[in-house]
Amino acid sequence: MVELARRFTIRERRPRQARTGVSVPVLAGLAAACVFLVIGCLSSGIFAQQTVAGLAQGVIFSSLALSLVLIYRATEVINFAQGEMAMATTYTAYQLTRWGLGYWPAFFLTLVIAFVFGVVVQVAVIRPVQHSVIAVVIVTVGLFLLIDGLVTWRFGADLKFMPAPFGNAVYHVGDVTFARQDLGTLIVSIVSVLLLWLLFKYTKLGLAMRAAALRPAAAALAGVRVNWMLAIGWGLAAVLGAVAGLMTEPTQFLQPTMMQAVLLYAFAAAVLGGLESPAGAVIGGLALGVFLNLTGQYVGFATSELRLPIAFAVLLGVLLLKPTGLFGRKKVRRV
Amino acid sequence: MGMKGRRILVVLATAALVAVVSATAAFGAHRTDPGITSTQITIGGTFPLTGPAALYSTIPLAEKAYFDYVNDHGGVNGRKIKFEILDDAYDPSKTVPLTQQLVEQDKVFADYGSLGTAPSLAVWKYLNQQKVPQVLLATGDSYWGFSYKTYPWTTGFQPDYPGEAKIYGKYILKNLPNAKIGVIYQNDSYGKNYLAGLRVGLGLAKAKTMIVSAQSYDVTQTSLTQQILALKASGADTFVVFATPSPTITALATAAAVGWAPTQTFVNNVSAVSVFMQLAASHGAKIDGAISTGYLVDATVPSEANLPGIALGKQILAQYAPGLDVKNQLTFYGLADAWTMVYALKNAGKTPTRVGLMNALHNLDPKKAKNPFLYPGVSLQTSFKNGSHDNFPLEAETLVKWSGGGAGGWTPFGTVYQGAR
Amino acid sequence: MRWRIPAGLPVALVVAAVLAVLPFELSGYHQVLAAHVGIYFIAILGLNILTGYTGQISIGHGAFMAIGGYTTAVMSHYHHTNLVLTLPLAFALAFACGVLVGIPALRFSGVYLALATFALAVSVPQLALKFSKFLGGSNGLETSKTVSHAWLYAACWSCAAILFVVAWLLLRGRTGRAFRAVRDSELAAVSTGISLPIYKTLAFGVSAAFAGVAGSLFVIETNGFAQPNEFGVILSLQILIGAAVAGLGSLRGVLVGALFIGLLPEISSSAPLIGSAHGQDVVFGLIVIAIMILLPNGVAGLLARLARLRARA
Repeated sequence: MVELARRFTIRERRPRQARTGVSVPVLAGLAAACVFLVIGCLSSGIFAQQTVAGLAQGVIFSSLALSLVLIYRATEVINFAQGEMAMATTYTAYQLTRWGLGYWPAFFLTLVIAFVFGVVVQVAVIRPVQHSVIAVVIVTVGLFLLIDGLVTWRFGADLKFMPAPFGNAVYHVGDVTFARQDLGTLIVSIVSVLLLWLLFKYTKLGLAMRAAALRPAAAALAGVRVNWMLAIGWGLAAVLGAVAGLMTEPTQFLQPTMMQAVLLYAFAAAVLGGLESPAGAVIGGLALGVFLNLTGQYVGFATSELRLPIAFAVLLGVLLLKPTGLFGRKKVRRV
Repeated sequence: MGMKGRRILVVLATAALVAVVSATAAFGAHRTDPGITSTQITIGGTFPLTGPAALYSTIPLAEKAYFDYVNDHGGVNGRKIKFEILDDAYDPSKTVPLTQQLVEQDKVFADYGSLGTAPSLAVWKYLNQQKVPQVLLATGDSYWGFSYKTYPWTTGFQPDYPGEAKIYGKYILKNLPNAKIGVIYQNDSYGKNYLAGLRVGLGLAKAKTMIVSAQSYDVTQTSLTQQILALKASGADTFVVFATPSPTITALATAAAVGWAPTQTFVNNVSAVSVFMQLAASHGAKIDGAISTGYLVDATVPSEANLPGIALGKQILAQYAPGLDVKNQLTFYGLADAWTMVYALKNAGKTPTRVGLMNALHNLDPKKAKNPFLYPGVSLQTSFKNGSHDNFPLEAETLVKWSGGGAGGWTPFGTVYQGAR
Repeated sequence: MRWRIPAGLPVALVVAAVLAVLPFELSGYHQVLAAHVGIYFIAILGLNILTGYTGQISIGHGAFMAIGGYTTAVMSHYHHTNLVLTLPLAFALAFACGVLVGIPALRFSGVYLALATFALAVSVPQLALKFSKFLGGSNGLETSKTVSHAWLYAACWSCAAILFVVAWLLLRGRTGRAFRAVRDSELAAVSTGISLPIYKTLAFGVSAAFAGVAGSLFVIETNGFAQPNEFGVILSLQILIGAAVAGLGSLRGVLVGALFIGLLPEISSSAPLIGSAHGQDVVFGLIVIAIMILLPNGVAGLLARLARLRARA
């Protein structure tokens, strides 16, 4: 046991680069992209507007991508029902406000409910099948259908409305406008990333969760309750999903299909950033949003029908060139 | 012959009489069309109860409410209407087997009110080959009205999209001759047909110069800012929205958010439901002064509160479909469509026949088919007499203007445009 | 060399006999339902070859169905090709596309491959919208002829039978052994001289080809109407579910998997409380989850377990 503990501690002391997977070429590339964007924004009003609008669009992808990344990092599983779980928890918040609760009390109560929801789903539905990747994929698909059906049954398919968390104010900086809501979503996402980082780096719980995901057998020997850690991972991811849903509602409105398109883009964002990196999820989402807007504006062939294929071309490109994404760690296959 | 003998004779005669009568009755029964019994008419349709277009599911529910009302008030010449609502989720690969089920299993009298262009296109050959009426379709494409020669069993209902867009075009020519028009349209046939109609209304030459930017969007997009920014950058001062409800709300809210203030906005009829407009306003959209069209009575317009159709509609919905929102115009669409079906069924012969139904729908006389759910001045009219082939039941529309911001509503203004096409 | 009678031959012959006689007992509408099951049979068979036998996950087979389906629609619409002739064309084109996809897919595995194929499933229908003049766009593309219910049934199940035999022959020989070796341990396979690129790509190609034929028949079943909404993500997911219910890595459960996917919506729509549209989704989701938890190896696994029990008894 001491050996195992020492192995973990030694990992902590390795230089930052290897741990987070951020390599010099990636950083250089990102820096170059930022320079390009800044120059573009300064030289063209419409360029600046499209970039900022892209960031605003991307921040929505980031928030859902965060929960995808957390689940993958904690349990090595892709959850196809993540969007629907986020949608269901958003409807829960809606119901709470209809029952008289104020917006923010409902918000935080929903986060608690989401945590429990995530844990229950993992224990009841995922745990029995987690040995097989295909089985988990299929079970999450079944969950997708189940949740979608239940919500539509209970609430109907028509558009509903909730107050926006950060209001409808719009700020103007020169030619460029952005909404307070978008800024709020970005701040919430960054705070989430920070909290996750703190959790994983400095808390025992975070360490145990990482151990359970990377080396379940060894972690169990070290006294980690692996199954519990996986369940908590799902609970936390569900919380992040609830946040994503509530941040997304102002622009997608409350309808059963609200997260379906977002989920698709969130997959691309998560892969772009690296499926194991929360910071990557945020940057991936922002980058994807900007990329889509700029190609839509300047590339004639990239008409609206190709928006989704372009996002997925980005996903495929990343998988081909650097499968672990911008910020992912390279996995070495031991023979 | 003794007493006993006479009794036997009476019994035999009665038996013979009964046999003859039932034989003729049975023989007569063979000659009614499928879906017609002495007590019931069975009709059915395919609708998106689930999936991306599910918000239109209000329509078949309102139609069912109307049929229930009619059934409780004598039915159609004594026959009750059985209305089967099937869910095809807007997927033609589901529409086809479901329609086959309606025709071959459930033996419906007619395919009624089915929703969606692509789903209806997938089955119109089949239904016409089987000589099953495909009537009063819930889609505004114009194929149904034009194709009576090749598809004589098919009709539409609502004023078609190109016709509506022509009205906007004509209005702009007359009242905003120097307008710079920016259009946002859905990238499928819905949006494209609307845009084509706008061009026709402006005249193709003027359309080239006046439409300074036309941006398409895909239904899978999560934000329309990129397209709205492009419209703003083009210098357009007239904003035309050819989008389904959810993207319409987004487009209107985004226009305000990016600081674009077009002097005149046009919103297509399908998305101009008051509830959606109010939702847009609550998200910051500046919708006062926006123009759309209307052809139904509207429970949200105060000046229409005393129209008989409003009272009737409210009563029917309260009793038979209390879950539906009377302020959602889709409910009145359903009521109007169902009213038309009942009228046509009543005029399809004492025992309704499919041919009779089509004749009734092809010869709607505005003086007789007074649909209470239509806006005054708008009436049902088709005619296949004297060489004419008007197969568009509704063409007239009135212009409506929004006032009152987030708590406001549409007010009809101007005259009713007849013969929109 | 003596011919060994294949284990499942009696069962297969009985099933074939039933299928041959069935259409005469069924009404036209039920013939269509049966044909529908046949289409899923072919698609599931194809996916099983890829995922069950070489271990490459694909959530994108709807895309290959779309390719096959649009091939039929395009050839019939523009060139009035005989519908039967479009089937081998769809097979060939889908095979080529499968190989093209299989080559970059060599670099992915597991979850990443699932995501990559998912990307394909989402993107391909959009292409039909993009090239709407040629491919019909949102109004769809129609074949020049439609077929009777009986023709559809005959076509679907003849193709299913032929492709089943093809799959069986492929999988029992050297290729099948190579596939299984790749699935079980790529490292061991390479060290015995099996070329990973060739067999993995071959599996992709064959699998896609099967899906292509299923797609052609799918379009023919939909009154010859090909439209993007028919090939959404749900279709790919349904095929995957069907393959899992059937049991990956064995041909025995494919019929049950196809019956499950083809008939469950039909059956649950007539159930009382849950008969509403949303109820169907709920039921389907619940049953899928239950099956994956209780029968992780699908029907084939169940049959194998029963066989073992019987052998022990």
